[in-house]
Formats: sequence, C-alpha cells, structure tokens
Amino acid sequence: MNKTYHLLTGLHFAVCTLAMIWPGALIANRIEPTVLGLPFLFFWYILWMLVLFAGMWVAFVVRHGGGRHE
Amino acid sequence: MSDSLIVVGITLAYLAAVLWVGLQARNKESSSLEGYVAGGRHVGVVILFFILGAEIFSAFAFLGAPGWSYQHGSPAFYILAYLSLVPITIWALGPRVAKLGRERGYLTQGDMIADHYQSKPLGMLAGVIGVAALVPYLTIQIAGAGLLFQAATDGLVPFWLGALLAFLVVAAYVFASGLSGIGWTNLVQGIMMIAIAWFLGLTIPERLYGGVGEMFTQLQQAAPEYLTMPGANNMGWGYFSTAVLISAFGGAMWPHLFMKFYSADSGKTLRKVSVFYPLYATLLVPLLIIGFAGILVFADESLARADTVLLRMVMDVANFSPWVIGLMLSGALAAAMSTGANLAHTAAIVLVRDVLSPTVMKGASEKATVSVTRWSVLGLSLIAYLFALANPASLVMLLLGAYGLIVQLFPMVIGALFLPRLRRLSVMLGALVGSVAYLLMDFVWSSPLGWHAGVWAMLLNVIVVTACQYLIKPAAQGPSLASQPS
Repeated sequence: MNKTYHLLTGLHFAVCTLAMIWPGALIANRIEPTVLGLPFLFFWYILWMLVLFAGMWVAFVVRHGGGRHE
Repeated sequence: MSDSLIVVGITLAYLAAVLWVGLQARNKESSSLEGYVAGGRHVGVVILFFILGAEIFSAFAFLGAPGWSYQHGSPAFYILAYLSLVPITIWALGPRVAKLGRERGYLTQGDMIADHYQSKPLGMLAGVIGVAALVPYLTIQIAGAGLLFQAATDGLVPFWLGALLAFLVVAAYVFASGLSGIGWTNLVQGIMMIAIAWFLGLTIPERLYGGVGEMFTQLQQAAPEYLTMPGANNMGWGYFSTAVLISAFGGAMWPHLFMKFYSADSGKTLRKVSVFYPLYATLLVPLLIIGFAGILVFADESLARADTVLLRMVMDVANFSPWVIGLMLSGALAAAMSTGANLAHTAAIVLVRDVLSPTVMKGASEKATVSVTRWSVLGLSLIAYLFALANPASLVMLLLGAYGLIVQLFPMVIGALFLPRLRRLSVMLGALVGSVAYLLMDFVWSSPLGWHAGVWAMLLNVIVVTACQYLIKPAAQGPSLASQPS
C-alpha cells in the first residue's frame, strides 16, 4: 500500500511536470479551440494547474484522512 | 495634482492599515528566538499558505509577468508552469524538514547543514551565500516600491521617499512582531493582490476590446505568433523547459522559503498548504491577460521597458479614475512589501544565527540574540535602501549570480534529508563545481543548446557528487575530516 502510494504520487507529479514542459506541452501548442475565450495553450496551463491540485488533494485525503481541521 | 493627491491618500491609508495589522500581531512569543524566527513552530494552514504565496509573488512577478506576456507572448506561461509546480517540492521536502527542525532545534538552512555534515564552516558558508543573495533581492523590492510610487503619483512622491516609506513600514512590523507580523500582513496583502489583479485583468480587456475572448480573437488576427510557442521572440522549448524545472525545484533552496518549513505546526499542515498552493498561481492569469492586452495597444510604438506595461495600461490607456490608480499602486506595493518583509526577516536571522553566533557572538543569551536579530532587520533594510538609491540595475546581475549559487545547495540539502550516505567532501565538491560552472556559463560563455545554465550546473554538480561517492573511499578523506572542528 505504502509503496503503491508513493509510486502513484510520484507518477502524478511527473506527468503534471511533463505536461507543462517539453515534450508534453507540444500537443497543446495551438490557438484553436479557444476555451472560455482563452487560446488553447493558455487554457492548457490552467488545466494542468487544476489537475495537479486535484491529484494532490486525493493524495492528501488518502494519506491523512479527510478531516476538516488538524 | 489633486488626482495625484487622491492616489497618495489611498496608498498611505493602505500602508497605515498594513502597519497596524503588523504591529497588532505582536505577541508574547515574539520575544523568544523560536517565536520571533519561526512563530513558535505552530503556524497553521491559512497563514502559512499566504506566507509561502506572498514571498514568491514579488514586485518582479506582479510587474514582470505582464511584461513577459506583452514582450514575448506565450513563453510567459513558464511563470504559470513553475509556480504551479513549486508545491511538489513543498510536498516532498517540507514535512521532513519540519520534523528534523523540531527534533534538533534547527532554525536555518545552515543549522541543518552544519549539524548533518558535522562542519560549522559549511554552515557558515551557507549563511554567507544566503545573505549575499537575500540583500540584493531585498534591494530590488525596495527599489520597485520607489519606482511604483514615483510613476503612479506623477512624481509627487519621488523615488527616494516612496522607497523609504515602504521600507520603513516593513522594517517596523518585522522588527516588532517577527514571523507573526509577517504572517498576518501577508494574509492582508495576499488578498489585496488577488483582488486587484483580477479586477484589472477583467476590466482592462473589457474597456479596450469588449472582453477577454474578443481581445484574443483580435490578437489571433493581428499577431497570432504571440499566442503559441515559441512566441514573438523565438524562445525555444529547451530554454522554456529547463527554466521551469530549475525555478520550480531549485527555488525551494532559497532560505526565506526553506526556513518557513520549520515554522509549520506539523508535516500535515505543509502537505495541506501544498495541495492548495497551485491555486495561488491563478493570480497570474489576470496579470498575463493585462500583458496580452498591451500587445495591440502599443503595437506602433513599443514600450522601452516591458515591465512598465501594467502601469502604462492603468494610467494612460484604460482611463481609470485616481481611486483605481491608488488601489493598483497599493496592490503592486503589497507584492513588493510582502516579499520584502520575508527577505529582511530571513536575511537578519541567517546573518545572526549562521554567521555571527558561531564567531563574534559565541555564548550570547537568547535574549541578546533576539535583540541583535531585530536590529539586524533594520540594519540590513537600511543597507538595501542605500543600495537602491545607488544603482538598482546592476544588482540584477548580482541576484542572478547568487541565485545560481543558492540552487547548487540542492544535493547537499537532499543528502541531509534523505541520503545519509552522501559524504561532506562529495557534496562540497559538487556544490563548488556546480557554482563555478554556473557563473562561467552565465557571465563568460553561453549555455550549451540554449538551455538554462542552472540545469547544466546542476547536472555537473550531481555527476561530481556521484563520482566522489564511488571513487573516493571514506578512508582516504581522513585528514580533511580531522581538520574540521565539529
């Protein structure tokens, strides 16, 4: 369980990092389709910021429980 | 003239409010060393979130981010990328640093390095590099505050006075309240920055183009090269990617970030902060939009300095009332001051704890140490102010050089945290080779393949560390170990 957990969080971090730099960001290097009025590449960075947040949130809840406070 | 008076009035009211919050935050803990430096090691999630956010969002980010999107276009997303990725380092290193700090009483990076590698000179070296890097960084914040004041009030408040006002407010509450003052003021200033950035980022495209979507449609027709990589000035993916990596993962070696890990009330708190941290990077979205808005506005005569684009848009183009200009100035000052407070605080602690305490202040009492640290906050801020009056531009070079050195501490710190088998000699040689290589690439040769020089230096650093680990056997390092006092 612990090993799988570290592997999965590590993988999540690696995927998010590679999506924002070469080579991951190459597939998003275009203007169309625009999302919320933003060019696609701009939207791509906001999207991965949110993916990183969501994944870390899941990792936090799995490890530390979903308690609202300390 | 009366317009400028309104701007000055709003900004002074804002400064007074920040000062009041900072002084109110003073508590009985502010007089103990652990309280003054690390908030007694029980800073909670919300305050820590705003401290770690505010210290990365300096005047440079607030003015520089729109400057980049105005000048280069899409390469500016590198700032969005690296700020989103910073929490990975907090997640991975933070809890371990906090735990070691609590168990062994560390308050600085130098404490940890000196203790782990059993070498006080090594800790002092980390301290000297830290102060050398932090003071120019502080100077840039103070100079930024002065320039902002001067520009936004049409010279009614000159550079020297604006810089002095901002630095006096900061020095006063850091002097009195330590980390607790920084925490509460960073909360106020963080909210201020976010509110102002979103307000301007949505209003400016609305006024000039009729909306953000419409603005990008016009940009796509007139200047599509700005909207994808490699941008308007042909920045390659190699530089972009390596700059993201070195800024996101090396940035945590800055003492003012790293030392905040000690102040967390638990490792769980640091993890929670890192979960929400990517959301702080959304602050960049409106700032980048403002820069994009400037591309067509200043198409005919481009700005001499790209980082003035936010100021010019608000003051000359969008035709805002002086009230809005006053709020814009307050928001930009918030960026400079909230970072500046952390820099002054950290520089003073590192100076006293890592450099003075093992030498001239041997055996000083805790009370004396806190007192010297407080006065060092004032002293170092004053030095930074005088530097700012002299010539801030040349300091950017110094900052670049110091940044390269700070990042080279990475293997040394990783060794102390996770790899007990790394030896002192290996990490020292690695850091030395990495630093020299960085300085050579930055100032003498150009960096191979157009990559960020920090990445090459880090690769060399790691290669040297690995080679030393395998080639130099522990028995062969006897004399060099014995000569170090421990």
